Amino acid sequence: MEFLIVSTLNGVIYGMLLFMVSAGLTLIFGMMGVLNFAHASFYMLGAYFAYTLSGLFNFWVGLIVAPLLVAIIGMFIERYMLRRVHAHGHAHELLLTFGLVFIFEELIKLFYGDFPVNYQRPDYLNFAIFNLFGTDYPFYRVFIGLVALLMFIVLFVLLTRTRVGMVVRAAERLPDTARALGHNVPMVFLGVFGAGAALAGLSGAVAGAFFPTNPNMALELGVIVFVVVVVGGLGSLAGSLIASLLIGVFSSFAVGLDWSLASLFSLIGLGDWANSLGGLVTMPLSSISATVPFLLMLIVLLVRPAGLMGSKN
Amino acid sequence: MRYALIAILALLALLIIAPPLLGTGWQYALINALIAALFAAAFNLLVGQGGMLSFGHAAYFGVGAFTVIHLMQSVEYGDIPFPTVLLPLAGAAVSLLCGALAGFFATMRSGVYFALVTLALAELLHSLAPHWDEMFGGEAGLSSMRMPSLGFTFGSTLEVYYLTLSWVVICIGLLYAYTRTPFGRLTLALRDNEQRIRFMGFNAHGTKIVVFAISAMFSGVAGSLMAISNETANYSVFSTQVSALVVLHTFVGGSTIFFGPIVGACVLSLFTFVVSGVTHSWMLYQGIIFVLVMLFAPKGIGGVIQAHIEQRHALPWKRLAAPYALATLAGLMVACATVFVVQSLEIVLSREYAAAVARTGEYAPYTVFAREWQVFHPFTWLFPVLLLVPGLYLLRRAFARIQTLWDKDDDDDNGDIAAAPRELMEGGH
Amino acid sequence: MPRWITTAAAITALGVIAPAVQAEPLKIAIIESLSGPQTSTGRLIATAAEYVIDQTNANGGFNGEPIQVKEYDNAGDTSGAATKFREAAADGAHVIIQGASSAIGGQVTEDVRKHNIRNPDNPIIYINVGAEAMELRGKKCHFHAFHFTTTAPYRTVPLMQVMSEQGDLGKRVYSINQNYSWGRDMEAAIVDNADRFDYQVVDKVLHEVNRIQDFSPFVARIKSENPDSVITGNWSNDLLLLMKAVGDANLDITFGTIFMDQPGNVANAGDVAEGHYVAHSSNIELLDEAGTEAYKKATGHYPVFIEPTTLNGVGLFAEALKKVNFDGGDIDVNEIALAMENTTFDNGLGGMHVRKADHQAVIPIVVSQVASGVKYPVDGTELGFKPIKTVAGEDAIYPAQDSCRMRRPK
Repeated sequence: MEFLIVSTLNGVIYGMLLFMVSAGLTLIFGMMGVLNFAHASFYMLGAYFAYTLSGLFNFWVGLIVAPLLVAIIGMFIERYMLRRVHAHGHAHELLLTFGLVFIFEELIKLFYGDFPVNYQRPDYLNFAIFNLFGTDYPFYRVFIGLVALLMFIVLFVLLTRTRVGMVVRAAERLPDTARALGHNVPMVFLGVFGAGAALAGLSGAVAGAFFPTNPNMALELGVIVFVVVVVGGLGSLAGSLIASLLIGVFSSFAVGLDWSLASLFSLIGLGDWANSLGGLVTMPLSSISATVPFLLMLIVLLVRPAGLMGSKN
Repeated sequence: MRYALIAILALLALLIIAPPLLGTGWQYALINALIAALFAAAFNLLVGQGGMLSFGHAAYFGVGAFTVIHLMQSVEYGDIPFPTVLLPLAGAAVSLLCGALAGFFATMRSGVYFALVTLALAELLHSLAPHWDEMFGGEAGLSSMRMPSLGFTFGSTLEVYYLTLSWVVICIGLLYAYTRTPFGRLTLALRDNEQRIRFMGFNAHGTKIVVFAISAMFSGVAGSLMAISNETANYSVFSTQVSALVVLHTFVGGSTIFFGPIVGACVLSLFTFVVSGVTHSWMLYQGIIFVLVMLFAPKGIGGVIQAHIEQRHALPWKRLAAPYALATLAGLMVACATVFVVQSLEIVLSREYAAAVARTGEYAPYTVFAREWQVFHPFTWLFPVLLLVPGLYLLRRAFARIQTLWDKDDDDDNGDIAAAPRELMEGGH
Repeated sequence: MPRWITTAAAITALGVIAPAVQAEPLKIAIIESLSGPQTSTGRLIATAAEYVIDQTNANGGFNGEPIQVKEYDNAGDTSGAATKFREAAADGAHVIIQGASSAIGGQVTEDVRKHNIRNPDNPIIYINVGAEAMELRGKKCHFHAFHFTTTAPYRTVPLMQVMSEQGDLGKRVYSINQNYSWGRDMEAAIVDNADRFDYQVVDKVLHEVNRIQDFSPFVARIKSENPDSVITGNWSNDLLLLMKAVGDANLDITFGTIFMDQPGNVANAGDVAEGHYVAHSSNIELLDEAGTEAYKKATGHYPVFIEPTTLNGVGLFAEALKKVNFDGGDIDVNEIALAMENTTFDNGLGGMHVRKADHQAVIPIVVSQVASGVKYPVDGTELGFKPIKTVAGEDAIYPAQDSCRMRRPK
């Protein structure tokens, strides 16, 4: 019971973090059809900027200004790079962002060095919010979850309830009509790309103070964010939320489950035979848990490429 | 065409004659460049000709490598007699099978989804491989030793070089011949208009699987050659970096031309070999080169060369000479400024330098371009600006001029070069 | 620029006159991860190794010439290491120093072995200062490979012995390790010693290497077993994140670790770090102050993490060089290797030497505890590593593995 509750809580909050990073990616893909490989780099930049700013000013300045800086970088990339190669097709845009990943990682190493930097949350945020079965539950975890939740609500309201959202959705579905109606579609794209980058930057600024801020953080999170976006359905915000939570909770539970393929076989009475095979068959799920998201992504891509919530393409 | 043939034969002669005069370090670098070239050519069969962008080609490269290393071990222990020179055949066969299987699933999707399936397959293999000791040897990998064959001991790097060269030349020749066959032309149609293939009565899915499998097979040969040369194989051969590198090579070289990726792979591998010994920021330079090529020469180095060859009779070469020279000079200035800034930062921001400052309390001068620079001297930071600003201005002027001269003769090709200068500013930093 | 470290000036100052015949300089290649994810470790190894060589050069170098050191960046992968090995061999390297990864260690030691079979007249020595896989001293052992780090059982046994003596091991021990050869070696060592130190392994976990972002589920799992202590061989991010999760959960269980002294761990664990154990091959608190200050003066920091191991290993090598003399003629690498087998080096904690059977260094192991009030606090905290006990190398080491069949040169 204890394990169940703690694991669910951990999983949900990790899932919310994943959602925070992937929301921007899915927004950009949904609007512009660009699969932005450099998205996780925005997450890393957010963390590093927030680290620098929190040293110069304080934590909150970092939290607010870092995403804005990342947004500016994002808009710059959209305006002067992506728009330039747009005529050559989506593959080309994807390759461009792919090249940017290397540049960002190396620039961070150049300026901040190879070691993790000591980006810490302020001491007054460093307390236990409640005690669960004798273990303190840190407030900051809940804080991450709350920021993500707030972000989801703001995004949702913005996109569905306001005029801005209407224009954005119009530009996404029917760009030509939107243009004919006098809306500046390139401007909308610019704004969406900037907003998506800012979201990744914000999650970096929040999560960097909890997980280590190091030059590999983009690499570590990059692929898993792709998995989230694909499983949720490319371009679907709600899908991303569900997929993030699923993967978060799954990774949390996988740790405690000693299932293996062999235990699956023993259900049908072939347990001894499977155990005699050894190798991958007897490997417990907990030790290969990082494999499962890729398997999930593969299955979704092959069976239902639109993802959980995506519209059929 | 005749000139192309002469050029290729000359290059081949050079590749045969030169290596004995080089040190083993260079011989080995050439082996790697050749392997990268074959890998890129195989990859480009899928991307450039079949129009399918794969982000997981490391899988087939790695399968080839592991097949060969297992076989080499059996030969070493005397279980199976198998001539060393024919080892890549085994890698090719297994990669072909794996490629057909993976291709069956991957080609069910197209575009971004296809790329993601290939990515997922390779990542799956990469994350499972270290746990499967018998097959992949854990994180330490498997190792073996080349056995003498056909009178060669394959002990020296030079012998391995010639073995690699033979295989790479044969395989690239086969890949080129493939593009000339009716099926090769069908592959091109796959990229340009899949619908048409269906209307023509061909099975598009089946065709794609075959293309995928052939591409995987030649990637497997490249992997085999890597295993023969290194005498080891390690699960990291499946990593995203390996898949990423072949994408980089292919597109810097230019995926629309057959020889583009080969050029790109050779240039970038040798660039890595030279530069990685000099600076730790070589990956940054590689990234910058890639992004610049994507922005200003979407068809890659090969594309630029091809455009020049195609237009060679129409271009006013004499009038182009001056702006080309100017562009080269300006490009050098911008490159110098960028390299200067990066190298200065690499030194000044390093832990060693910080330690020296803490120790002596003063900011010692540092050396870049064989000259000493003071960190806080205004000229140190004025220097790159003095190179960069006029460099960018001249580059812009030169390209505008080049554009006008090109436009007089044709209107369709290489409009990309001309608009370069403004955005060079972004890429250059 | 290739960093050939030459201190010709120092030599002229000492009045050593170069012989008329051109002496062969000793060439050392450092093949390390100097770019890519493992850069931080690779950089430390290169720094420490160069420090020792600089000192030797300041004392006149070797064979009448300064020792030449060159760094080769393997970019953190095995094929990069293979390339750089060939480059180093082509440059005429006599010695290769490496340590940041067991996988790369495997590649380098095999490359050295094959090179020496094919070039018996120009062999190369491999000095391993960081790769801890048992296999390197077992199946892959050979005469020209010297291993100056420890292995899983080598460190785990003294660690648990001291924890047990201090009454911190308890009866319920939890094992959490990375799922690859090192982690599995660790787990085996923990399970094998249960009877000896009278405990029960309540649960053992092998998790993915460097892929996990959030360790709190593992902390929840550890907590649910209610162990007295946790033993882990985790390193790098996997230890940092584990420590962070432990700190956040305020989990007050004693951890026995192997790599707690890697920079960043103590800061991330926070207050709960106090009382955790680490078994390492040196502890700065025990060393001669002049030596550590000199190191700081040269490199900007006190020797940490993998640096003392590197200093010891390369130090023994430098000591062995004093025993051979080629009179300015050609260098015989085999003779240096034989000298290394017969050299005892004082690393500040006691003598260390190389075991002939598998070329594993016999080094004393220090077991330390994270505590306040130490001379050298770490990570900007008040905590540091307080030495509890030094276990002599002979008591800590395990018998050489049967799988090592070393062929010695005639």
